[in-house]
Amino acid sequence: MKRFFALALALCMTFALAACGSTSTPASSGESTDGVTEITWWAFPTFGVDSGYEQELADAFMAQHNDIKVNVEIIDFTSGADALTSAITAGTAPDILFDAPGRIIEYGNAGNLVALDDMIEELKSDLASESLLETCMGADGSYYMYPISSSPFYMGLNKEMLEEADALQYVNLEGDRIWTTENFVKMCEALRDAGVCQTPGIVYCGGQGGDQGTRALVNNLYSSSIVGEDGSWTVDANGVKALELLKTMYDSKALDAGFSMAAADELQQFQQETCAMTFCWGTSNANSYASEDYTQISVPFPSDDGVPELEYLVNGFCVFDNGDDAKTAASKEFIKFICDDAEWGPKSVVQTGAFPVRASYGNLYEGNEEMSLLASWTQYYGPYYNTKEGFAAMRPLWFNMLQQVFNGTPAQEAADAFNTGANA
Amino acid sequence: MATSKAPARSQILQRRETLVSYLFLLPALFFFVGFVLTPMFMGLVTSFTDSSFANAATGSKFVFLDNYIRLFKDPIFRKSAWNTLVIVVVSVPAVTAFSLWVGSAIYKMKSGVRSFFRCVFYLPVVTGSVAVVVVWKWMFDKYNGLFNYVIRAFGGEGLPWTESQTMALWCIILILFTTSIGQPIVLYVSALGNVDSSLVEAAQVDGATDLQVFWKIKWPSIMPTTLYVAVITTINSFQCFALIQLLTSGGPNYSTSTIMYYLYEIAFRTTKEFGYADAMGVILALVIALFSALQFKVMNGGTTE
Repeated sequence: MKRFFALALALCMTFALAACGSTSTPASSGESTDGVTEITWWAFPTFGVDSGYEQELADAFMAQHNDIKVNVEIIDFTSGADALTSAITAGTAPDILFDAPGRIIEYGNAGNLVALDDMIEELKSDLASESLLETCMGADGSYYMYPISSSPFYMGLNKEMLEEADALQYVNLEGDRIWTTENFVKMCEALRDAGVCQTPGIVYCGGQGGDQGTRALVNNLYSSSIVGEDGSWTVDANGVKALELLKTMYDSKALDAGFSMAAADELQQFQQETCAMTFCWGTSNANSYASEDYTQISVPFPSDDGVPELEYLVNGFCVFDNGDDAKTAASKEFIKFICDDAEWGPKSVVQTGAFPVRASYGNLYEGNEEMSLLASWTQYYGPYYNTKEGFAAMRPLWFNMLQQVFNGTPAQEAADAFNTGANA
Repeated sequence: MATSKAPARSQILQRRETLVSYLFLLPALFFFVGFVLTPMFMGLVTSFTDSSFANAATGSKFVFLDNYIRLFKDPIFRKSAWNTLVIVVVSVPAVTAFSLWVGSAIYKMKSGVRSFFRCVFYLPVVTGSVAVVVVWKWMFDKYNGLFNYVIRAFGGEGLPWTESQTMALWCIILILFTTSIGQPIVLYVSALGNVDSSLVEAAQVDGATDLQVFWKIKWPSIMPTTLYVAVITTINSFQCFALIQLLTSGGPNYSTSTIMYYLYEIAFRTTKEFGYADAMGVILALVIALFSALQFKVMNGGTTE
């Protein structure tokens, strides 16, 4: 009899679980009985932490579109990516995501997104730079991201510390501020010798957060590229030379290595004046890690030929394929409102602290010298590789390679291991 | 007639009681099956597939033992497994011995003092792991951390702590130790307080030393608690994850990566290969089961017979 009850209970459980599963199917219909299409927008805080701007946008949009309801959910950079992976695999993805190409194109390539070719087609004639298109394109040639703004990543320096160490002479503050590897080394050595800070700079390598900064540093020092001519992930001979230089500087204490630090930790140390420079400065970080105690100078990454290749960020939107045409249409409408509305479009670009992808928006930072300088650096944008296959797998190998080099593994050996692993 | 009716009624009553028991179990069983057994089964099945984020939409295929074979060829997995083993082998005896020592020292104290110590040692357990790790991270900070500040104040040179390949794992073990001892101490205080005092007094009357009283009377009496502490600490040590993620992200150079952390990295951060990550989960579950069974065997299931 006990067996009978056990079996009966097991069946009950199975039916109960099956019932749980089946209830989610009808929920995929976005249009409710009152004719309102409900969409969910997940946003990383690119419009600013706790700015409330996302809700402002949603409210303004809903005031114009009575038939669409927008639910806003803010996700953070620490756990947001994991939440997205879980939601997508569980079939509970949001309708819209505000993010950057790295993740968006990965989702597009995995078949989770709606192609936005029609929207991009309209945007093409107004794009500030043709190269922006490649950041939005998936492996199948479809466009999965609708861009709104972009900005370069660069270095930040502590002006007062450099002055105190008589190291400012090595930094070019004229024109577009490009400078050389030789002067970068001299600046670090001057800072070390003067002892004005605990360490001149920290090459963070404890995680993949902000790792574009260390890649830009390595690749600019001797003009190497993370993507080889054959399209493979590579640290070439010049990259190895750069790694050797960094190791030499680490050994001579002209630089330090942050083995358990990601960019956020290094930025904090920069803000607290533990070090005199940061390798992960950008328009957003310049706001988040601002300090009134000293003057922060923006400079491009130093290079042997004096011509930098900068990494850059593109902010944009994607629409998840939740099997509901009404939701897809409503999502596209909302994205257009955020990016292209005459009033809210430019406002949204400024809110991201970056530069518009639409040429017709012109200079949104009239009279702001710093932003005009940064805008001029768009000419130094390097090839965009965040959407290339294997990008996610390459990133942990990158910071581990740096750790190995600073821990004494010959640079060539560490680079070989990286090249093998990243292309496996 | 009467004799044949009585067992029949008894059987009916028994059935009713059984039914009621099962009905009471039903809510818990629902969650257990839905959130424990089903995911476990799904994880086991997925570990034999090439399921990944990239092929989630197109579907995965069975690869049989490929994931398991790949595991043992993966140097990062081997390193993570070794680190996990070191954490378990060091932390389980340390936590058990320290908890027993503290428990023995405080269980005889006045209730107020005893409660104070229990609170002190239990505090890290009830404090959120994120808050705990953030404070430790600040203390271990190479530049402005408390430990290096003290070392420099005495004229020494700051240590690299979590920045060093050789020190980082020990920093992890230290934090794990502080967050693991709370519950065992409370359990030992309770278990030692419940040891039959007449047995202790009888042994003392017979001339037994304190050490003899402990090994011959108290130790056997608290054996079930020791077994529980050992098993729970082993499982927690094997599953150490949050503090590694928050403190070192498995670095430097994978020196603090554990199976749990590597599993997470594979499933959510890097290649997002769910099948491969699940294979790690299955191996980890098997090893934990093996260790727990071994502990049951060595400790005679918590008895002294």
